[in-house]
Amino acid sequence: MTSPGTPIQGVTLYSFTRAFHARQYDLDSLIRKVAADGFGPGLEIIGFSSLRGFPDHIDDNFVGHFRDLVAEVDLVPTSLAVNVDTGLRRDRLMNHDELVEYMRKQIEVAARLGFPIARVQISLTPDAMESLLPVAEQYGVTLALEVHADQHGAHERILALRDRYEKLNSPLLGFTADWGATVTGFAPSLLEAYRRRGASEELLAQLVDLWNGFYAEGPPNTQKVHGERFGAFIGLAARNGRPDLGIDFAINGTGLFGPAPLDTWLEIMPWVRHVHGKFFGIDETGEEPSVPVRGLVRQLVENGYSGAISSEYEGWHWNNWQDPFDIIRGEQAVQRSAAADAGSTMVTDPAEARRILNSHLAQPVRG
Amino acid sequence: MIADRIIEQGTLTTVDGRTAVEVRIPWYRALPGSCIAGAALTVDGVAAPAESLRWTMNERTFSFDELVDRTDEWWFPLDSAVLSGELAVDDPQAEHEVRVDLKLYIPYIITDHGVLHIEEHDTKTMKAAQR
Repeated sequence: MTSPGTPIQGVTLYSFTRAFHARQYDLDSLIRKVAADGFGPGLEIIGFSSLRGFPDHIDDNFVGHFRDLVAEVDLVPTSLAVNVDTGLRRDRLMNHDELVEYMRKQIEVAARLGFPIARVQISLTPDAMESLLPVAEQYGVTLALEVHADQHGAHERILALRDRYEKLNSPLLGFTADWGATVTGFAPSLLEAYRRRGASEELLAQLVDLWNGFYAEGPPNTQKVHGERFGAFIGLAARNGRPDLGIDFAINGTGLFGPAPLDTWLEIMPWVRHVHGKFFGIDETGEEPSVPVRGLVRQLVENGYSGAISSEYEGWHWNNWQDPFDIIRGEQAVQRSAAADAGSTMVTDPAEARRILNSHLAQPVRG
Repeated sequence: MIADRIIEQGTLTTVDGRTAVEVRIPWYRALPGSCIAGAALTVDGVAAPAESLRWTMNERTFSFDELVDRTDEWWFPLDSAVLSGELAVDDPQAEHEVRVDLKLYIPYIITDHGVLHIEEHDTKTMKAAQR
């Protein structure tokens, strides 16, 4: 029997995009805020969001400054989120060699800044991941491909990656599990945002019914089904005289609220090296109303997961009336409570987090 | 995404028939010039001619044709860019309705229809500084 996991508490600065973009915090003051408010010890950042000049112009002075700051406030770098910008050029997609070099530069920055994981994205095929394995080995960085709605743990593209990982058998290739793939309801805070944009209660009820129908049918296992659902949200908005809301319904209804069952994660669990604790809000009872945080934490604990969970608040897109820092505080309390209910604990001590993360990443994936 | 922040309040300027406004990226991460696919600048319902539009970021000024190839010049999320065009704005004491439209490519989201692009716009009212 697997011994219970002890996930490491943490946060991605993406959760605070609205405050950072508004220049309320710069990178240094935001990192200090994360540490002071106890949202760590795990710290995840997005290179292209937080680092000016990423990845080509990150000089040694900045690297030293960043490492000193993180050490001073006693946070633990977990994942640098890097981007697979295949569509950077207007005339064509990047070719294989260009993509490998584009990723290499970002992975190198992850290593220099002290991040043991680079979060990569779905555009990387099994062949591309295989080509990047020597890069991962060169820098000692684990590549954790994000499984994000509209994919999920049992999606054909994810299973193809898993099968390649199994063949390559390296501890440096794995997944970042994003909880947005396994959502159980259309986020109430987004319904409230549509209400504030004048959407009628009747339209909102139909929107919820449409999403609930897809949830009942199960997740899209092919791109074709995904496209059909995307179109259904656009059609709903058009039929109700609000075509202006159609794309928004579709992007959020398919790309943020993935309807896969929790057990889809079991297909890839041994390869999960990092977790995005994606969520959208905390209600008046202190719970997340549309993401099954308690079930997800229990599942990780029961499967022996001792990597980091980066709380990733995504309600900031539409919720401009609540404080994101309070919302993160609430969600992390749910995670800690859930871990205790499952007979374990979330790791909040920085020294213990470093030790456990090192052990988690050094283990063979089948370990 | 954060379209309500595109136009920086109070940054409308006009000089010798050219008008400019500062703009913020309505997205969470930096994008290169090649992903800034188009813009429109409209003041009091009058749009600047497309060929007169210029984009300034990192202290360099580009036409939109020039931006197409710039995969090395990045618009950082904390930085204001400047969108300008040939447009006369009279009566600096009056409030002017400024509208900016932006079309951005999102380079890591490849759909069945190609690279995802988003179209965002923002409208704000402000006085024009004349320099």
